[in-house]
Amino acid sequence: MISRRFTLSALAAAPLTGLMTGLMTGPVLAQATLSAATAKDFVEQSGQKLVGIVNSQAPEAKKADELRGLVNQIVAVDQVGDYVLGRYLHIATPAQHQEFQKLFHKLLAYNITYQIRAYQGVSFSVDGVAPQGQDMVVNTVVTTPGHAPADVGWAVDEVNGKPQIVDVIVAGTSLRITTRNDYASVITGHGGQVSALLTAMKAQIARIDAS
Amino acid sequence: MSAPVLLLATSLAGCATPPPKSDTADYQAYKELNDPLEPTNRVFYRVNNTLDTYAMKPVAQGYEAVTTPAIRQHVSDFTSNIGEPARLVNFMLEGKPRDAGTALVRFLLNSTIGIGGIFDPAAALGYPQTNTDFGLTLAIWGLPPGPYLYLPVFGPSGLRDVWSIPVEWLATPMTAAPASTALTDFGYAETGLRLVNLRARMLEPIEQIKATALDPYATFRSLYRQSRASQIKLIDQRDKPTPPDWYPAPSHH
Repeated sequence: MISRRFTLSALAAAPLTGLMTGLMTGPVLAQATLSAATAKDFVEQSGQKLVGIVNSQAPEAKKADELRGLVNQIVAVDQVGDYVLGRYLHIATPAQHQEFQKLFHKLLAYNITYQIRAYQGVSFSVDGVAPQGQDMVVNTVVTTPGHAPADVGWAVDEVNGKPQIVDVIVAGTSLRITTRNDYASVITGHGGQVSALLTAMKAQIARIDAS
Repeated sequence: MSAPVLLLATSLAGCATPPPKSDTADYQAYKELNDPLEPTNRVFYRVNNTLDTYAMKPVAQGYEAVTTPAIRQHVSDFTSNIGEPARLVNFMLEGKPRDAGTALVRFLLNSTIGIGGIFDPAAALGYPQTNTDFGLTLAIWGLPPGPYLYLPVFGPSGLRDVWSIPVEWLATPMTAAPASTALTDFGYAETGLRLVNLRARMLEPIEQIKATALDPYATFRSLYRQSRASQIKLIDQRDKPTPPDWYPAPSHH
């Protein structure tokens, strides 16, 4: 039961990372060229912008727009998508790949909007930086009113010459791996057809649109 | 056919069909997934989901409505303290004396100064909560996780981790005390309270996963496995060959 509690405590931080569900890129890019200080500064600055938007008094729709804009600046969304698609990247046709990227961007935007209200009053502090594989992971403590503080790691890599977030790690669980497993399960459950994933993504977008 | 028989029949029949070995990538992915009972596991996932929707979740929502975050934290501390002896035993079995010492000090401090574990003064005194269980002990002994299991009521587990359930139960202080009706009732009440409190803390995350995941079953499976691997790593990282803070420093003459 103890383990279950721990597992679930990992999940407890998920709403925050839901902000990032889909924000995950892969270790697709060259070796870690970022210094710890650059990664830390980048996460501090990006985090302040994020917190500023979430806690602002602007209407929710405006906040959602601003957040989407910020996410496109600080996260390598295309690379995230390719990582999440994993080995099916080579199976998908160019048209399927293009459609996947479009749907992935859209779902990411929805997931961010979904989280805004839950994170009103959020704050964070940077704990330290450690290299992990080819990324630099900046560890932060994220505090939201009414919730226990959550340890969240932000994996940063250099993409197209600038630092970008490539993964979010909560209590040892990587969001890019979780999403890849989620998507792969849909594909393998339908005989390895990438089209099944696209259908499921479209269905989810339609469900959200309808709600 | 009665429900248990039906479930048994389903579990016997519910094996996933592996892809042919000639399809290397698919076969490799199947092996890595290590969920040969997936069809049965998914049946139990749906059963638990239904139970949760109509029982646990509404109860947890009601509980959340009538309690404050502070009360829920005290309940969490209290039930966590009851699990401390089990952690002590597991850390000893794992050969992690430092963590075992921490678990012992936490239990002694929190059960007394912490008024039966309702408060957690030990954390403030430098003995933060640690986590382990018998599944992790087996992992540290070198056992691989084995196939994934999704259990009725208990949820995500595996062939190795499933042994935590009976062992944790045996290691609670209630089992060690002489049997009595009052103690049995306390045990049920404590378990019930722990589950409701835990579910209340999970209301948002579980909703969020169900709302955003394309396949929540696969998402919970992935999170469970990553979390277990991370806990094993954490136990090893903490295992430093230095005396813990509570160990008396050798005197120098």
